[in-house]
Amino acid sequence: MKINYQDLINFLLEKPSKEDLSHKLFQLGHEHEISCDIFDMELTPNRGDCLSLIGLARDLAVFFGKSNSIDLFDDDIEPLEINFENLSPKDCPKISFLEIEIEESNVEYKPYLENYFNTIGGNKANLFTDISNYISYELGQPTHCFDREVIKNKLIFENRECNVIFKTLLGSEVSLKDSNCVFSLNNEIISLAGVMGGASTACSFNTKKVLVECAYFNPESIIGKSIQYNLISDAAHKFERGVDIESQEMVLRRFAKVVQDHAKIKSIRFKSFTEAHNQDFNIPIDVSKINKILGTSLKNDEYLRHLKGLGFHISNEIKVPSYRHDIETNNDLAEEIARVIGYNNIKSTPINLQKLANNHGNKVAKLESLLVNNGFSEVINFPFTPIKEKESINIDNPLDSNRNNLRISLKDSLIENLLYNERRQKDSIKLFEISDIYTKDKVIKQQKKLGLIISGRQGRNYNDFPKKLDQKYLNKLLNENYSEGIFEINEISRSSLNTKKKDKIFYVETSLEDIPMSFFTKLSAQQKSIDFINYKPISEYPSSSRDFSFVIEDLQVVHEIIDMLDNISDDIIKDSFLFDYYKDDKRKIIKLGYRFIFQSHLMTLSDSEINKKVNEILSPIVEFDGVSIPGM
Amino acid sequence: MSNLDNINLPSISKELGRLHPINQIKDYLLKLLTNIGFEEVHGPEIETEEFNFDMLNIKKSHPARQMHDTFYAEGKKNVLRTHTSPVQIRGMLESKPPIAFISAGKVYRKDDDATHLPMFHQVEGIYVDENVTFANLKDLIHQILHELFGDNVQIRFRPSYFPFTEPSAEVDILSENGKWLEILGCGIVNPVVLENCNIDPNKFSGLAFGLGVERIAMLKYGVNDIREFYKSNLDFLAQFK
Repeated sequence: MKINYQDLINFLLEKPSKEDLSHKLFQLGHEHEISCDIFDMELTPNRGDCLSLIGLARDLAVFFGKSNSIDLFDDDIEPLEINFENLSPKDCPKISFLEIEIEESNVEYKPYLENYFNTIGGNKANLFTDISNYISYELGQPTHCFDREVIKNKLIFENRECNVIFKTLLGSEVSLKDSNCVFSLNNEIISLAGVMGGASTACSFNTKKVLVECAYFNPESIIGKSIQYNLISDAAHKFERGVDIESQEMVLRRFAKVVQDHAKIKSIRFKSFTEAHNQDFNIPIDVSKINKILGTSLKNDEYLRHLKGLGFHISNEIKVPSYRHDIETNNDLAEEIARVIGYNNIKSTPINLQKLANNHGNKVAKLESLLVNNGFSEVINFPFTPIKEKESINIDNPLDSNRNNLRISLKDSLIENLLYNERRQKDSIKLFEISDIYTKDKVIKQQKKLGLIISGRQGRNYNDFPKKLDQKYLNKLLNENYSEGIFEINEISRSSLNTKKKDKIFYVETSLEDIPMSFFTKLSAQQKSIDFINYKPISEYPSSSRDFSFVIEDLQVVHEIIDMLDNISDDIIKDSFLFDYYKDDKRKIIKLGYRFIFQSHLMTLSDSEINKKVNEILSPIVEFDGVSIPGM
Repeated sequence: MSNLDNINLPSISKELGRLHPINQIKDYLLKLLTNIGFEEVHGPEIETEEFNFDMLNIKKSHPARQMHDTFYAEGKKNVLRTHTSPVQIRGMLESKPPIAFISAGKVYRKDDDATHLPMFHQVEGIYVDENVTFANLKDLIHQILHELFGDNVQIRFRPSYFPFTEPSAEVDILSENGKWLEILGCGIVNPVVLENCNIDPNKFSGLAFGLGVERIAMLKYGVNDIREFYKSNLDFLAQFK
């Protein structure tokens, strides 16, 4: 909601600077951003009463005082004779109507109204609708303007089953379904109550006689309708949060006053229909309860002064204003007081909880330690899948049809993770996930599962590089100490996967419950420590690798060469490692195999760029006597 | 000339995998809070409306209960929990104060764009005892944020709104570039929630707080795009030692 600073300070006794105003708004919990004189407010959903100039001013009055600057139409108003029936008073306990006829609708707007449209209000429509929008900005009460000449027969408010196309005053058509609160005329829906009026009864530029409807709709009766029909309106936003049921006559008198400011009124009539009287809501005065909640030592007079400043009426009890739907208990009042004092001005009081023994070494931590120590990286996947199995849990309102079930296994996610990394030139992949899986039989069942997947080389050091990840590898890791393997290892065929890779894929999935305790007793969980690294964004460009074989005849320099190779670094060298170490006893030489992986953050590297870099990094090495690179 | 056998083999460095950075942060927060005295409790990710909303004073008219914010499952009978608070409700129903629980885990919201994911992680805590006050809450939040961001971090409390706490607050820290960053939500447990859990609100009061794990991870590691955490890219994961 946008508010003009100049408009807001008109409602305050003191005229704070923008900085002071902003500071106090934050203290009260009203977040906002400021651009020139416009405050773009983001109010919490419980504070519908603040969605207007007067609403914010009522809160700010505790700091800056309130000015009484609302001009109302003070003349007597004749009673309105209107054929109206409220068939659903629980949805609309109070509604008022104002009928005004003016001599001329083509008028020049006064500066305050003109300025509202220039700074906040957007496009103008017609005099009555424009005044309605302005009144909502000023007082927080939406009103709806019917062209009086069209409302000839009985006007009905009802909550009725709909299956009909409704044309809004903005020209859009929506298909109304289920039950909706509506106004109808001759059995035709002319307004979707609390959301938007219809085209057939809307005012136009030439309308001179208007019927202004001003209502309180029960928030629960209209909530969600605006989003359901994609009819986002200021009115719906306010009605859903609750308006002031006691303000209708004041609002319509203000409406009349703004009309009077612009045109000569020929006739004016008013009628209010009250189906249920608003019950005063009172809370006993008890400052000790407030101090007990906040941990403060506030005195009674201070307490009551703050509440009065916020518009509460104090007698034997605290009377909650009719617009404060959010105040019911002492905890609510404690929040009011904390806002006035300032949350940051409440002093901390230490708490000392009884220390508990740390619960380290649980099953998950032990599995994690085992897997991470053996080169496995953990992934976390979203549980949504298009695959529906008999026991799958179905999402009623999925994001899309590809995510309308919960997975019953971790397998597909882990295969996808594997292929994703293979496409990024990874040739040694070990991944695992530990997640809860949900299935249904008669009841919903929860199982904590471990899934792990491997493919490619066992590692990149010269011992593991030539070996492939296989069943034997997993057996050694998981089943070595058990005569009957407790983990079932399955090969996943690549035939149905979108890949040209040939390395075999092996997969294990098990419920943690199914792993015998004896497996865990042999494991230990490492004490976890965290290193808050400074993350470097990863490149999305492809990497390229180059392997080099070094023949070293002068054995004294072997470790010097390895040190040099290990310490090569460059912006485009992502990684390098010794993948082969071979002693040729016959020839008395040592051969080193070294792999360099090139990748840029800026582009896909060309062969010539890589070759240039290769020459640069290798030239100091081949200058050694007794070191050569065959083929170079 | 050296003999081949006299040459030491080059060292073989053990290649370690990585725990997922989100789980690293989650575990770190759990450790931080258990060291203060909280006990970890667990609960299901598929919840009933009763535990996810009603017991927490989230009324039928609350926007969170609409189909556009919450995933419903199995014919609207269940929801994918939208926060870990129902775990604490279950904990409170099974114990008597004083209690100090934390729950951590996956939560779901019907959202998917550059800054929101349909699944993310929360760590939430609740402490109920006699005479727990807002001033105690401030002390606890200061302890947590000093541990996370250092003793010199500037902390700001702002009034906010959550149906299950009253008063409610959002807490910001001042970042290096001079901007306030929202870090967590907290408040005094709404007496209605205590009553729902058969705890006498005239005798006991409570404080509660909740942190978004992804948000803390992004701040602590300097990851700008939340989606990176869930691409399962080994180059990404390998950085989080």
